Amino acid sequence: MSNKEGYKQVKRMTTAMRIIHWVNVFSMIVAIATGLYIAAPYYQTFIADDAVDKYVMAWNRWGHFMVAIIFDVTSIIVAYLYFFSRFEKPYKKVLPTGANIKEFFEVLLNLVTLNRRKNFDSTHSDSFNTVYFTIFHLLLAWMLFTGLQLYVHGLESGESSIGAWWPWILHVATDWTVPFSTWLMGSTATGANLMDVRVLHHMTMWLIVVWVLFHIYYQVWRTIFWGEGDISIAFGGTKFVKESN
Amino acid sequence: MSNNKEESVKKLFTTQSASVNTNRGESYYAELYAKCQKRLDELKQLKPLNNRMDFLESIEEEGLDRRDFLKWASATTAMLMLPASFTPLVAEAAVLMNRVPVIWMELQDCAGNSEALLRSDGPQIDEIILDIISLEFHETLQAASGHQAEKQMEEAIEHFKGKYLLFVEGSVPLGMEGYYGTIGAKAETFVDHLKRVSKDAAAVVAVGSCATYGGIPAAAPNPTDAVGVMDIVKGKPLINIPACPANPSNMVGVILHYVLTGNVPELDSLLRPKFAFGYRIHDNCERRAHFDAGEYVEEWGDEGAKNNFCLYKVGCKGPMTFNNCSIIRYNEGVNWPIGVGRGCIGCSEPDFWDKYAYERPMANANIKAPTGGVEKSVDEFGLGLLTAAGIGIGIHAAASYVAGKKEERGEA
Repeated sequence: MSNKEGYKQVKRMTTAMRIIHWVNVFSMIVAIATGLYIAAPYYQTFIADDAVDKYVMAWNRWGHFMVAIIFDVTSIIVAYLYFFSRFEKPYKKVLPTGANIKEFFEVLLNLVTLNRRKNFDSTHSDSFNTVYFTIFHLLLAWMLFTGLQLYVHGLESGESSIGAWWPWILHVATDWTVPFSTWLMGSTATGANLMDVRVLHHMTMWLIVVWVLFHIYYQVWRTIFWGEGDISIAFGGTKFVKESN
Repeated sequence: MSNNKEESVKKLFTTQSASVNTNRGESYYAELYAKCQKRLDELKQLKPLNNRMDFLESIEEEGLDRRDFLKWASATTAMLMLPASFTPLVAEAAVLMNRVPVIWMELQDCAGNSEALLRSDGPQIDEIILDIISLEFHETLQAASGHQAEKQMEEAIEHFKGKYLLFVEGSVPLGMEGYYGTIGAKAETFVDHLKRVSKDAAAVVAVGSCATYGGIPAAAPNPTDAVGVMDIVKGKPLINIPACPANPSNMVGVILHYVLTGNVPELDSLLRPKFAFGYRIHDNCERRAHFDAGEYVEEWGDEGAKNNFCLYKVGCKGPMTFNNCSIIRYNEGVNWPIGVGRGCIGCSEPDFWDKYAYERPMANANIKAPTGGVEKSVDEFGLGLLTAAGIGIGIHAAASYVAGKKEERGEA
């Protein structure tokens, strides 16, 4: 590959990371579109059809749960790579060391000064980006726990198509979200209310939408202001930096 | 007690699983059967209490025959999640119900649960059974009043010490030292009254959502600081039968279970019997097919409503509510809320008035911001801002003073 004069190509995302990224993009779009329908059905079906011929809510729930399970599995892989990746271990960038804190604020200043100040190395994933990535995965983990709690309400017989262990493990892993949600929402008679889980699951969706908006904006902004082709990281896995750096 | 956060954090890792075990294996049921039989034999030795009504005579007087009774017994056996072989035991236990003394007390309530068991379209077996139990004290039903009533209560407590079941209807106001609700000539507060009467009870049954969680009196902003019975009564077997009103079938189920086994039924993390509150309304709803099909009532009285479409879009909370009304309905199977064409309001769940009963899907609920009201938020925000400004001015003034002194001394 011929590089532009004075620039070198650096690898930023492995193939596995990019596959996970785009699987997550797809899952996110499906989860939001179906989730909004499940929360309050926003389009109507044709009344003339018989109920047996349409399965609109059921298909929406099917899609929602399918992408949720895909999210579950990619999250487990992401959590593993976070600590054990052989490429870059993200956790090293969120440890509150002096260098990380300095880099975090340098990147933030770079953004708020509209690139008038750039005192950090942009060849690797910086602290600011990694913190932002971590926030996303914490929000996603919260969605997964609350979502599975809401899901297990329908498995009250204690049975599922893959055995009784599955609802059991869902209860063990997610029952804490009920009192925790109620604690977050405040104002309660008993300290545990299933509706609070649902409300927070819905509200967190909006936080993730906000997250996505800033994520896309910021990657485009970097591409334009830094002139290093950052946007192609998610596609080809590489970007360019000036040789002098 | 508007929000006991400490308690809820404690509950964080102790919430019990909501799953229901409907088949515990043959040896378990064989053992239970023997235990129940022994218990019933013991009860048979006892004489009926003051209530002289005979159950089998009573149902005949009401125009029901033995076949109706046995049909009821097998339905109740199924409701209690017992095998069919228990039916004769359940029938026997129903006849022996007049051996168990019951005291019924009303606190901050509308007597709706008492009404529920009195005002059905005709005398049903559940209601007759509630006539038959030895109801030693019930403010709404008894003839006695004033000092006479108080005396009757004292005698019942004294006579059946440690044996009676205490049914409580209504919430307990704790605000103003409990003086939002008092009872009797001595103006005993509800909370003291409850503590005194529950002290010698064998078990306490909270009937209805008010007694369970504080219910409607505890809805925001909860002016009387109403709480449920479980926040007051500690160290006693306690059973909650929420819903507004509680289903008489579930009240009978709980008493029957007690008569039959001498124990309280298996409870979930909110102390509700699992036989009644182990299942979600949505999963046994007759309109469920319309939910899956995406066929919803868009507004009251539209074409969908006429065709019994799903009520989710007009705010049905069946998918979030655990109760057995979609299975047993009310008034012995006559009908139930979703059956008459209005959504479930989640009346058996905590905080139902604030968090379930808004007749819109949750996403459109306009749930009030958690700051607790316009004026309250503004006042508290203003006071906070003013305090911060005051502290800032203070620091600035002090710093200026020090700087001024330094300047005077020619240090700066």
